[in-house]
Amino acid sequence: MISLTSPVRTRAHGWPAGLKLGLLVAATVLLAAQDALAFHLCALAGTLGLYLLPGGRFFRAGLRALRGLWPVALIVLAWDGLTGDPLGGVVVVLRMVSAVALANLVTMTTRLSDMMEVVHWLGRPLARLGLNLRALEICLALVIRSIPALSEKAGLLRRSWQARAHRAPRWRLIPPLTLLALDDADHVAEALKARGGVAGPKTTKLP
Amino acid sequence: MSHPVPRLRAEALAPCPISGHRKRFDGTATGGRAISTQADIAAAHLRLEQVSCRIGPRAVLEGLELDLRFRALGVVGRNGSGKSTLARLLAGLMAPDAGQLRLCGVDVAADRAAALSTVGILFQNPDHQIIFPTVLEEVAFGLRQQGLRRRDADDAARAVLAAFGKAAWEEAPVSTLSQGQKSLVCLMSIVAMRPRVLILDEPFAGLDIPTKAQLMRYLGRYHGSVIHVSHAPEDLADCETVLWLEQGRIRDVGASGTVLPAYLAEMTRQGEGDDISDLPG
Ligand SMILES: Nc1ncnc2c1ncn2[C@@H]1O[C@H](COP(=O)(O)OP(=O)(O)O)[C@@H](O)[C@H]1O
Ligand SMILES: [Mg+2]
Repeated sequence: MISLTSPVRTRAHGWPAGLKLGLLVAATVLLAAQDALAFHLCALAGTLGLYLLPGGRFFRAGLRALRGLWPVALIVLAWDGLTGDPLGGVVVVLRMVSAVALANLVTMTTRLSDMMEVVHWLGRPLARLGLNLRALEICLALVIRSIPALSEKAGLLRRSWQARAHRAPRWRLIPPLTLLALDDADHVAEALKARGGVAGPKTTKLP
Repeated sequence: MSHPVPRLRAEALAPCPISGHRKRFDGTATGGRAISTQADIAAAHLRLEQVSCRIGPRAVLEGLELDLRFRALGVVGRNGSGKSTLARLLAGLMAPDAGQLRLCGVDVAADRAAALSTVGILFQNPDHQIIFPTVLEEVAFGLRQQGLRRRDADDAARAVLAAFGKAAWEEAPVSTLSQGQKSLVCLMSIVAMRPRVLILDEPFAGLDIPTKAQLMRYLGRYHGSVIHVSHAPEDLADCETVLWLEQGRIRDVGASGTVLPAYLAEMTRQGEGDDISDLPG
């Protein structure tokens, strides 16, 4: 869910990342503060409306990114149903879906390097205390990069297991996946070093 | 797209000139053989003095001695002969355990800042190299690493995309690209940094024939010197000089016209043997 990109270019791509993140924070606070079912129904409808603005392709990509939420929604609904507060459960689920959908919306329409610029700005007070902001930015990018990379590796391992076994591999994939992750990290570290490492921009200028 | 593509300067893809570069192309190699190199200001100078490298207890490279000027240098050898280790040494990603190594006069392992404008390396798997989710960010990354400001790095990256005829790729998500397209993104990212020498460590292995041919053609847009590492002699047709590694030592170095046929003959001979049975150690 974290490394989302949009299939089309939207108008929101041109807005400043700080503005989008600021609006997202405000909207999330508002969602958290309200409890009325009607409010959350309207909020979700409004959010889905935003997804429709750039067109059908964008809308479908957005919905696909939200699919991962259904198990959580199911658990919340089941729990609140059992404890006798089904309406409360519906509100919680609506709030969660709206909040994640809005966050995805910002992610889909903002370049990672623009997000990093905001992190850079927010971290500036810490830089005075000796924090290397460039290293922080690169580390964030690496974390985001490694999530889809790892899930792809897990998929490969599962397939090579299934090619030679009847049963699903489950936990037995964890040790080899850990080793693959370490190996991947080695390669990435080397490729990163080849382009200057995480130490930050060097003082040499291009002629 | 809202950004104008800046006009490309003619030298945009040429490597950084180094000061004090001597116009001498009388490359000599082990055994005192002279190696004729194309007279071109972009010729690179490689010097190895008794370079050795061990990984754990094993000597992976041993006593390499070389003094060579080249535009396109091929490195051949069987799997495990030490080609990738040599490529890593030349890119300054590791330091030799013994001996001295200079590429265009730069100690690439010690002086990383100078190494960035001296040498770039393209690995086999583009997924190991690509960090950012969109093409422009990936290409601009190395430029920011070289100290360019954000906006300048973006402009320079756009100029490189335009020079490769890929201005439309700017916002393309890397995850949607084919393997060959990802390789091209890696190539553009390295070329953007304008290194004097570009090292290719079997970067196109595993790609289909048309993709490989197209990438090789794009490679032609880079105007610096190239070190092309491959086990396959047909990949090295464009190299004027070839270095043949065998079990971590230089077996031969010289004009490709003589080294490659000898290598091919030896590989064919070894192919009839059964050293696949030999376990390491
Ligand atoms: N990280 C490593 N750990 C252990 N052995 C290695 C490592 N890297 C390379 N080697 C060994 O060093 C030798 C040379 O490897 P390499 O330089 O990758 O050769 P080539 O690229 O020609 O196939 C091989 O025998 C390989 O097993
Ligand atoms: Mg290799």
